[in-house]
Amino acid sequence: MNPNIFFRILVFPGFLFLFVLILFCDWFERKIMARMQNRMGPSYTGPFGILQPLADYIKLLTKEDIIPHHARQFLFSLTPIISFSIFMLSIFCFPLDGINVFSNYGFEGDLLFVLALVTFAHFFLFLSGWSSSNPYSGIGAVRILMQFIGYDIPLIISAIGPAFLAGSLSLAKIASMQTIPFALLTPWTFILFLVALQAELEEDPFDVPHAETEIVAGYGTEFSGRKLAFIRLAKDTQIVFGAVLTATLFLGGPYGPVFSAPPSLWFTIYFVLKVLFVIALLEFVEAICARLRIDHVVRGNWRMITPAALLSVILTVLSAPYIRLFMGAPI
Amino acid sequence: MRRIKMPQMIVEIASAVFKKPFTFQYPFTKPKVPEGLRGRQIFHPERCISCGLCARDCPAEAIEMVEVSGKKMPLIHLDSCIFCYICVENCPRNALTESTFYELASTNKESLALRPEKPESEGEATEGE
Amino acid sequence: MKEIAIEEEIIGTLEGMLGESVLGSKSPRPRRVYIHVKPAAHKRAISALLQAFPSTIISTITGIDLGETIEINYHFWCGKAEVTIRTNLSKSKPEIETITDIVPGASLYEREVHDLLGVKFANHPNLTRLLLPESWPENSYPLRKDWNPKQTGEIHDSSEETLTIGETRTESNGGSLVNVIVGPQHPALHEPERFLFKLDGEVVVDVEPRLGYAHRGIEKAAEHLMFFQDVHLVERVCGICNVAHTTCFCQAVEALGEIEIPSRAKYLRTIVHEFNRIHSHLLLLGIAGLEIGFESLFQYLWRDRETVLDLTEKLTGNRVMAEYSTIGGVRRDLTPILGDEIKKKLQKIRDRLSFYKEVFQSDPTIELRTKGIGVLSEEKALKLCVVGPVARGSGVKSDVRKHDPYAAYEDAPFKEILYKDGDSWSRLMVRLEEVGESIEIITWAVDNIPSGPYRIRVPRRMPRGESLSRVEAPRGELIHYVKGNGTAYPERVKIRSPTLANIISFREMIRGCYVADIPAVLASLDPCFSCTDRMVFVDEKNGRRWIWSMNDLKARRRDS
Repeated sequence: MNPNIFFRILVFPGFLFLFVLILFCDWFERKIMARMQNRMGPSYTGPFGILQPLADYIKLLTKEDIIPHHARQFLFSLTPIISFSIFMLSIFCFPLDGINVFSNYGFEGDLLFVLALVTFAHFFLFLSGWSSSNPYSGIGAVRILMQFIGYDIPLIISAIGPAFLAGSLSLAKIASMQTIPFALLTPWTFILFLVALQAELEEDPFDVPHAETEIVAGYGTEFSGRKLAFIRLAKDTQIVFGAVLTATLFLGGPYGPVFSAPPSLWFTIYFVLKVLFVIALLEFVEAICARLRIDHVVRGNWRMITPAALLSVILTVLSAPYIRLFMGAPI
Repeated sequence: MRRIKMPQMIVEIASAVFKKPFTFQYPFTKPKVPEGLRGRQIFHPERCISCGLCARDCPAEAIEMVEVSGKKMPLIHLDSCIFCYICVENCPRNALTESTFYELASTNKESLALRPEKPESEGEATEGE
Repeated sequence: MKEIAIEEEIIGTLEGMLGESVLGSKSPRPRRVYIHVKPAAHKRAISALLQAFPSTIISTITGIDLGETIEINYHFWCGKAEVTIRTNLSKSKPEIETITDIVPGASLYEREVHDLLGVKFANHPNLTRLLLPESWPENSYPLRKDWNPKQTGEIHDSSEETLTIGETRTESNGGSLVNVIVGPQHPALHEPERFLFKLDGEVVVDVEPRLGYAHRGIEKAAEHLMFFQDVHLVERVCGICNVAHTTCFCQAVEALGEIEIPSRAKYLRTIVHEFNRIHSHLLLLGIAGLEIGFESLFQYLWRDRETVLDLTEKLTGNRVMAEYSTIGGVRRDLTPILGDEIKKKLQKIRDRLSFYKEVFQSDPTIELRTKGIGVLSEEKALKLCVVGPVARGSGVKSDVRKHDPYAAYEDAPFKEILYKDGDSWSRLMVRLEEVGESIEIITWAVDNIPSGPYRIRVPRRMPRGESLSRVEAPRGELIHYVKGNGTAYPERVKIRSPTLANIISFREMIRGCYVADIPAVLASLDPCFSCTDRMVFVDEKNGRRWIWSMNDLKARRRDS
């Protein structure tokens, strides 16, 4: 065991670093969305408004925390924290600065471990809406379930593609095998993965679970104060998780040319840049689309996205030897 | 269902990232205000003849005639005023004139009144800002 | 002259069909006919009118308390003139037969008269309160002249009438429907209104709108202010379509006092009116985009709307509440420099319009969310008497600027935009193209404005009489009915704004649609609820009777 494991878990590249990264990504997301809509975005708190997400969370912590009379109190209080924690835990499994937080190269199959954890976290988000005993939350919770269960399938199927190309299910191995990013080698899988990811993250056009204009705030309607802060943190962590997953599977993770020691500094920089790139891409798709209706979302999934994901995996498997030759890796 | 999106919207959105934003930071950059804007009125006490027409004609009943050193003069309650300028138009001696001062936000109600004994000149902020 | 012949023709036809039920008739102005009938003969008169002119739609029903009697005026637009059929009822027993079986669009108007004046309409399918809250005391009718706010009766407990959200009620045919309440506070609504939806799964089966949450008492308050002060009160009926309200009211009072305003003033009114229309339509298209989740479209449209608001500010002195028209003309003039600037900036908006047209016509997600959704067929639109872009989106010709011209519209070159499909998409496209037409009108008006005075002085007192004025507000036909009694205060001001006419059609449109379509359809209907409810307000605290008059309100505001 690495002697400074506590430092790694708690500070870098662990909890504190990730927390700051999540806030930064939140700011980046809002700023880029604002610029795409020709307006300023956060600008008043701190230089370029960079302290805005922190200010939002501090504000939320100072607000009154109301538990509705009919809600299931235990679940209601616990589910936001649990979802946030599970998302955070799943990011720990990624090789953020070359090696993951627990300072080994992960284990074979941690791709599946991470995907399973995330399914759990989504389930807890559903529970948070369900335990609120408010019809709007109920409708939102049910929609989340429909959406993530449906789109988990093409997500996992598309995630198998890079695993096949790299020949292993370990995140660190997949990331390190990418001398040329898989996004360029198998663009069909990349695009499908992004679509499925957009649905998992409940962003436009798959914004249905918390479509504000229809069901107030979906599963987050009844939360206020600290619990709302956790729900929002969970949401932001979910987006960062999605970007981290994409960056690891398709863009080569943290690996890239190293110019000076220590290598972990450069790896972190590349990683953060790739995460920001993925977020910008997702925001772009969000800006150009309207919201689809729930029946469009469900029908689109079963009729188009899942078959396309299956086809793309078949295509990847068939072309794998040629791609591996191209990459120079052993077949 | 997901066909290729309409190109113009994409081009528009992508290029907007590089353009200057349309919004600006308000307290640090002030917008250009046209000269016809109906802002807070200016009162000239030397011209007032205490006819009370402004108070009678105000649709929002926002003007109150108060006694100031022996003469009755109008006190305009800016929190009720709708800035329609009927008082400005109807005053027979032009004792109320217009200005474009619009930054009237305040944290106490007392300052939201145009008092005849202390007519603020154009551009002076109300207290409590 | 051809115009007088139309009014004479209408009077002649109706007198011929009704014989001696007609007690009197007159036509004081072009396209306005008033017919007085005996108390029980109103239904026959209306059927006769419908028979003679099949495309008649009801405009509104006005009730006036005349002391001994209550006068009920039924206002109809018969395609060529506005025909008012009136009858008197005794105040002690005000009962009259309903007309909803021949004119279904009249149901809300009858409920309004019942609510505020206490007239019973026999055989009305649903004679419940429209604007006042359920707990309003019985036998207290605010629009009556002898109503005193301090002496209303006890507020009764309305708890058994309130509904819980999400309760399921089993219907008689065996299925079960869930009630979902949208409003009064809901992000999809921009003004408070309560809609009770009956859902079968995700499909909407029925909806019951409950109006009255933004009810402020403007019609009653207008009787206590002088005419020129009322212009400012009436403007605050609605922020978005405020110019339409002032124009309509000023026209009504000018017709009452037989004042002819200079033609320069007419052109200036037209210009500001069209500016208001552009800003309202752009606002609505942005909101429609927001409702379907397309936030970028919303931001872009509102950015372009800023240009229009800045131009309005330069011309009138205010961005939103223009306060431009007054009785006798307009308050400010248009300088040539400003005229050139207007034309240049509007040209830029015209170029942006072609971009938006392309977006609406070819974006797949917009198509998915609005095409074929919320369909209102042409015959339903006629029967329910809808107005404005809702009617024009279903193919019904109803544009007051074309058929009953006012201000400078008689000479202005523009087209009436009609779409045949009647779905949400058509209604949005009607509004988009109308923005283009408005730009044409403004450019024409700025180029051809006649010189001369822009305002004339008018007396404060208006003679006895009545007048009815119609304008095309951005949402449809707006009617003001003003009755004067020889003093400087009006006897009665009746305002019927377009959303009240359109709200009944919401039920027809939303049947069979999904819950997710509700905001999109509602946005295409363009409801402006602050226009719709404008009557007396009541405050209830802890079940105690607590009604504030204007002085109480002011005193309370000064202290706190």
